[in-house]
Amino acid sequence: MEISRIRALRGPNLWSRHTSIQALVQCDANESAISLLPGFEARIRARFPLIGAMRPIGYEGEISVAHALQFAALNLQAQAGCPVTFSRTAPTTDVGLYQVVVEYTEEAVGRRALELAEALCNSARADTPFDLEAAIAELRELDEDERLGPSTGSIVHAAVAHGIPYRRLTLGSLVQFGWGSKQRRIQAAEIDSTSAIAESIAQDKELTKQILHAAGVPVPIGRTVYDKEAAWQAAEEIGLPVVVKPRDGNQGKGVTVNIVTRDHLEIAFAAAQEIGRAVMIEKFITGHDFRLLVVGDKLVAAARREPPHVIGDGKHTVRELVDIVNSDPRRGTGHATSLTKIRFDEIAHARLAVQGYTADSVLPKGARAVLRNNANLSTGGTATDVTDDVHPELAARAVAAAKIVGLDICGVDVVCETVGRSLESQGGGVVEVNAAPGLRMHLDPSYGKGRDVGAAVIDTMFGPGENARIPVVAVSGTNGKTTTVRLISHLIGQTGKRMGMTTTDGVYVHGRRVDTGDCSGPKSARNVLMHPEVDAAVLETARGGVLREGLGFDRCDVAVVTNIGIGDHLGLNYITTTEELAVVKRVIVQNVGPGGTGVLNAADPNVIKMASACPGHVILFAADPHIPAMMTHRAQGKRTLYREGNQLVCSEGALVERLELSGIPLTRNGTIGFQVENAMASIAAAWALGIDWNTIRLGLATFVNDAETAPGRFNVFDYKGATLVADYGHNPDAIQALVKAVEAIPAAKRWVVISGAGDRRDEDIVRQTEILGEAFDGAVLYQDACQRGRADGEVLGLLRQGLAGAKRTKEVEEIRGEFVAIDTALARLQPGDLCLILVDQVEEALAHIVQRISESKT
Amino acid sequence: MKSIEFLKFVHLHGPNMWTYYSVFEVWTDIGELEDYPSNTLPGFNERLSAWLPSLVEHRCSYDERGGFLRRMEEGTWVGHIVEHVALELQTLTGMPGGFGRTREMSQRGHYKIIVQIWQEDVTKKAIEIARDLVMAAINDTPFDLAAARETLTDMADSLCLGPSTAAIVQAADDRRIPAIRLSEGNLVQLGYGSRQRRIWTAETDLTSAIAESISRDKDLTKSLLQPCGVPVPEGRMVDSAEDAWEAAQEIGLPVCVKPYDGNHGRGVFVDLTTKGEIETAYGVAIDEGSGVMVERSVPGIEHRLLVIGGKLVAATKGDMVAVTGDGTSTIQQLIDSQINSDPRRGGTEEHPLNIIRIDTAARLEIGRQGLDGGEAVPPAGKLVLIQRSGNHAFDVTDEVHPDVARAACLAAKIVGLDIAGVDLVAQDISRPLEEQGGAIVEVNAGPSLLMHLKPAVGKPRPVGEAIVAQLFPGESQGRIPVIGITGSRDTTAVARIAASLLQLDGKRTGLACTEGLFLEERRIQSGNCARWEPAQRLLMNRGVDAAVIENSLVTMAGEGIAYDRCQVGVVTTIDNTELAPEHGIENADHVFKVFRTQVDVVLKGGASVLNADDDTVAEMAELSDGEVIFFSADAASPRIVEHRRKNGRAVVVRERNIVLAAASLEAPLIELDAIPLLGENLDHLPGILAALGAGWALGLSPELLRAGIETYRPDITA
Repeated sequence: MEISRIRALRGPNLWSRHTSIQALVQCDANESAISLLPGFEARIRARFPLIGAMRPIGYEGEISVAHALQFAALNLQAQAGCPVTFSRTAPTTDVGLYQVVVEYTEEAVGRRALELAEALCNSARADTPFDLEAAIAELRELDEDERLGPSTGSIVHAAVAHGIPYRRLTLGSLVQFGWGSKQRRIQAAEIDSTSAIAESIAQDKELTKQILHAAGVPVPIGRTVYDKEAAWQAAEEIGLPVVVKPRDGNQGKGVTVNIVTRDHLEIAFAAAQEIGRAVMIEKFITGHDFRLLVVGDKLVAAARREPPHVIGDGKHTVRELVDIVNSDPRRGTGHATSLTKIRFDEIAHARLAVQGYTADSVLPKGARAVLRNNANLSTGGTATDVTDDVHPELAARAVAAAKIVGLDICGVDVVCETVGRSLESQGGGVVEVNAAPGLRMHLDPSYGKGRDVGAAVIDTMFGPGENARIPVVAVSGTNGKTTTVRLISHLIGQTGKRMGMTTTDGVYVHGRRVDTGDCSGPKSARNVLMHPEVDAAVLETARGGVLREGLGFDRCDVAVVTNIGIGDHLGLNYITTTEELAVVKRVIVQNVGPGGTGVLNAADPNVIKMASACPGHVILFAADPHIPAMMTHRAQGKRTLYREGNQLVCSEGALVERLELSGIPLTRNGTIGFQVENAMASIAAAWALGIDWNTIRLGLATFVNDAETAPGRFNVFDYKGATLVADYGHNPDAIQALVKAVEAIPAAKRWVVISGAGDRRDEDIVRQTEILGEAFDGAVLYQDACQRGRADGEVLGLLRQGLAGAKRTKEVEEIRGEFVAIDTALARLQPGDLCLILVDQVEEALAHIVQRISESKT
Repeated sequence: MKSIEFLKFVHLHGPNMWTYYSVFEVWTDIGELEDYPSNTLPGFNERLSAWLPSLVEHRCSYDERGGFLRRMEEGTWVGHIVEHVALELQTLTGMPGGFGRTREMSQRGHYKIIVQIWQEDVTKKAIEIARDLVMAAINDTPFDLAAARETLTDMADSLCLGPSTAAIVQAADDRRIPAIRLSEGNLVQLGYGSRQRRIWTAETDLTSAIAESISRDKDLTKSLLQPCGVPVPEGRMVDSAEDAWEAAQEIGLPVCVKPYDGNHGRGVFVDLTTKGEIETAYGVAIDEGSGVMVERSVPGIEHRLLVIGGKLVAATKGDMVAVTGDGTSTIQQLIDSQINSDPRRGGTEEHPLNIIRIDTAARLEIGRQGLDGGEAVPPAGKLVLIQRSGNHAFDVTDEVHPDVARAACLAAKIVGLDIAGVDLVAQDISRPLEEQGGAIVEVNAGPSLLMHLKPAVGKPRPVGEAIVAQLFPGESQGRIPVIGITGSRDTTAVARIAASLLQLDGKRTGLACTEGLFLEERRIQSGNCARWEPAQRLLMNRGVDAAVIENSLVTMAGEGIAYDRCQVGVVTTIDNTELAPEHGIENADHVFKVFRTQVDVVLKGGASVLNADDDTVAEMAELSDGEVIFFSADAASPRIVEHRRKNGRAVVVRERNIVLAAASLEAPLIELDAIPLLGENLDHLPGILAALGAGWALGLSPELLRAGIETYRPDITA
């Protein structure tokens, strides 16, 4: 078995909506059916008993080693705790070559699981040992490292439940919600509207108390001192008992509570000064530690926190008691469980010493030994949910504290006897406020009910029904994609939205090109959706990216498929038929969001079949309204768009909207058939988005499609009285459409300049000139810059072959070099002639043509 | 024995009988010096003006340059001189001199010296130094003025607001937006109550904590900017020398090789073009940090672009220094002849540009170019870079190309900062970045504003104003409605009724009065809270939409008013026999001056609500910048009639009805008998009328005023 071309499908893809690892697996003759490998199944089951049936439901063919790999990779992840269920093995046209697809939740885990699965299969074949436990432990650990922590995870989970798209921006806890100008960010339990100043205030406990005190929130009064004389003086003024703590510390380091003597105070002062020079002396308020979580203007959770402690039974030593507590299976070591093991370290020993115990003291029955000052879960503390007990007055004070400091997510630390009464009535107080508080103690408290605080955070960031999405239109098809993308973008842009657009020419944001080259893949789509100045996006979605990585978005509002025709790039990536190509292009249609729309070309049999795969509405378009699919769709009162004379008709039940083709300059009064189709697709997309008709009309009328704005898209020039049409068409369908379009332009003699791209199938290259031979009097064939692995002259030969039996083409020239070819054709032209130039290096060739035209005028 | 003794420092925190500003009122006993005005102290004037020649700028008494020195020659008393010296010392320390005054008290030889406070400790120290200096001049003893000034400068540096914060606060002050300093640091509140905003150096409460943390991570920043089309130095981490060369080829030469998290430029190699150089650089860089980055070398000079609220407001260019070798001179000699000979370079504050010295950074830079320190002799024609960026000395705001400005603004937006200092390397800031390979290298939160406020060369930019405009759009001053109430009687009643009216209007109302400190219905402090500190607490509280503040004579005389200005100032009655000698209020004139402060602080668009039945109070009408609303128990009083003739408003009683009167119109509001508070006697009538006047001044509707008075019970909130 040989595994190659491992890819991560990071968005919805050919196979499913799940993120998946995809690999090509070459099996030799024996491996194609494990029944031919004696003992293999038994050995693999012995090594990994939970590998499962290894037979997909309903599959009756041979089980190959590729299938074993599939189920091993999936179930290894499942055993490591990853919630994955989807996997697939598909044979290709090559014998013994399979595509194996396995869902992942973390890419690194998915990739590693595939490696481990391969090792497992190999060990089963070679009958060598495989350490299953180690493999699962490794995956489990990797998953814990990779996946979001519990606080961030809970918020992201709530976002997903609201239909809000998210994207991690770092390996850490920085996450973006939503797209474009609607995007928001969180980092752990902090949201982007949390001000840096509020965070700084929260870090300065004294300043916090001063500000809270000003606002009438009860706080233990205190003050800052810098030497131990002043510390004692302050303690006497405030009144004993007092707390001593570093002013700018965190996590309870250097804090000593309940100080009643000068000696104790001085020790505590020295401990606090190890953290920072400024030390706070504060009134010690007695009671329990509570953490109140305020999100927005609501108290959403409250927990009583206890430091790690043991209670004596009169028999065991402290050390033994700690071991007994730690043997609780709920106590883990990381952040994943609701309890963490008590750390029995130096700090614990020191804390014990303060209470007069050592590790080996046998605690009297009922005696309590505290092992740490703070109640953090990560050091073995516990949290008990008390949300439902909180007195409204106390809650109001916690909310006020958060508001006054300016934190929209705030952990308010309160000390009081009970949360069931107001702070004022029991002399309790707010001792600290925390930005970016840990949520684990509320999500999964040690005792009591868990609270969905992630949902509360999402509710405060997004209004009801808001999902932070911007309108997204995906466009796929064989021809006309770029023009359609540009026109749709122009139509939506009429509503004042700042448009982001990906095309094969680059990425455009608000009219500016921000990236160049072929940008029709998922990475460019993601970049546009990341851009903070994009209000709506139109994304050209080429097959390459879909196959390589899946979609760059989880779903779209409108999916437009212009056509499949007889296809383009067939033969690449095991896509050999137009039906298979249609399956790839269908992915955008399958991922139309609820309430979204698929815009489909009813004249193309492969496109019309996609209608059933669309989870939303469907708009069908075709010049001819009498195509059966159009007729039935219309009869059902659904939206169709067709041509009637010089008008385009948009019909939905009894509603009919007519658009004059003369109002769509792109179509040259309806004479260029393929532009009429592009216009129909674009209008349908705008219609699906609810853009009003007058805006659509205005957009159609103002859409410019010349060499400057749309290089290589049917650019028309005048050269010494002859008409030049330059286009980037490079497949039989495009050529057919171009021939139809130029036939509408009257001309004396017709010329064409053409090359063939090396990565097309031979038959497709030949087919192009076959079409041209019917329509042009003369042809200039040239060899383009990019031969993509073909021998010199090979493409020219194919082009010539297509012209062999040409009915019309009499004059044929072969040229090396695009510019020379253009010049050759131009030299032949007489006024009244027409020349179609199929450009290859678009920008350079157009510049060359423009230069020749300007030379001809001087 | 001649001496000047300070009896006490009274800190007036806000507007007071002397001025609108916070001042020290220093009670001073000059003892026998009362008998020695300045002209009688031999050599005193000469000695003092020799120490402080700039006293000639004080225009005192004659309102002309040299005015104060003339007074000294003609004879003035030492209290007055201490005041001027203290102000001058503050000026010399870089603080605007400000307000000063000296007044005799009734006891002979006792004076109040009033000096405006810039920072409490600094001003106090300045006053003390002034006294010592004056005494030294009197006694002709030596005085180390330089040391004293240094003390003051050090104190000012550590205690006053930093320059960036100060510039913002100054800009706020120019727009009459009030400011409260919330910490010993640079945390300042602008505006009051729920309309307040906070700043902390060049961060505001709009500055996102997440954005700040993104900006601290340069690589994360780059990874967010690049996909949006912002030019950055492309690069990646590499894990071996070969990988470094591979990366260099992907990125395009020349490249920069540097440690991932190194510091001080150690192990940083720039402009590398060969495989050998790059692999060698990798070997050094790997020892300096936790990984090695290979990045595109960005040619040009460092620039700092300041973006505020999505707009570019200032830009500076670094002082890049290079010399050209002549084949014979050392680098040090070339620096002296080619760079330091520039007359703009020098070591004093008058020189906009620094003298260039070969410091550690320069030595490192020279070393990178294959030369060994300042003694090396570069070949003729070789350009040697000495300092790559250095101080952002040159203002280039007007030269920035719009595309460059757009890229900087987009970068700030992507990171999520409202105020950002965008570091950008470009050869020519007036051309688009793409065509010169320029790039944004860093986006900083809380950028220093100093380089834009005081560029070494070029125009200072009003960056403080831009920040304030961002926080307070339009004409907003961040004010909540504040009603200030003073007078000799009824003030607590007026305050409580007025607060209940505002509360009824749906505003979360804070009330500071003699009966305590109230937030809405809740009393958060009991005891007398008609004082500066509790009132200040209300203004600091973000949960307060409106504040009602009672000010007693004693508070105003001894502490000052808590707010700089207010919408409504109420004066009930004045009993000018009620003095406060312990606060230096020794006669009727003093009493008047203290009470009038409440009218002085009324905003132009606000209103003074004055008792027309009290002649002393009514006299204050002409002092009000805002409208005057009189109240009176007698609708027919000549003062009311006259006021209404001039289209004035008044709250009056006519035929046992409270009536809202404006010009010739009258609208009966409520019958006296329907007011539960009033009872048999009409003791509370003036208070009710005043509170209604205050509510009316703030635009409360007659219906609400009526309902408020009808339902008001004095015990409700007690």
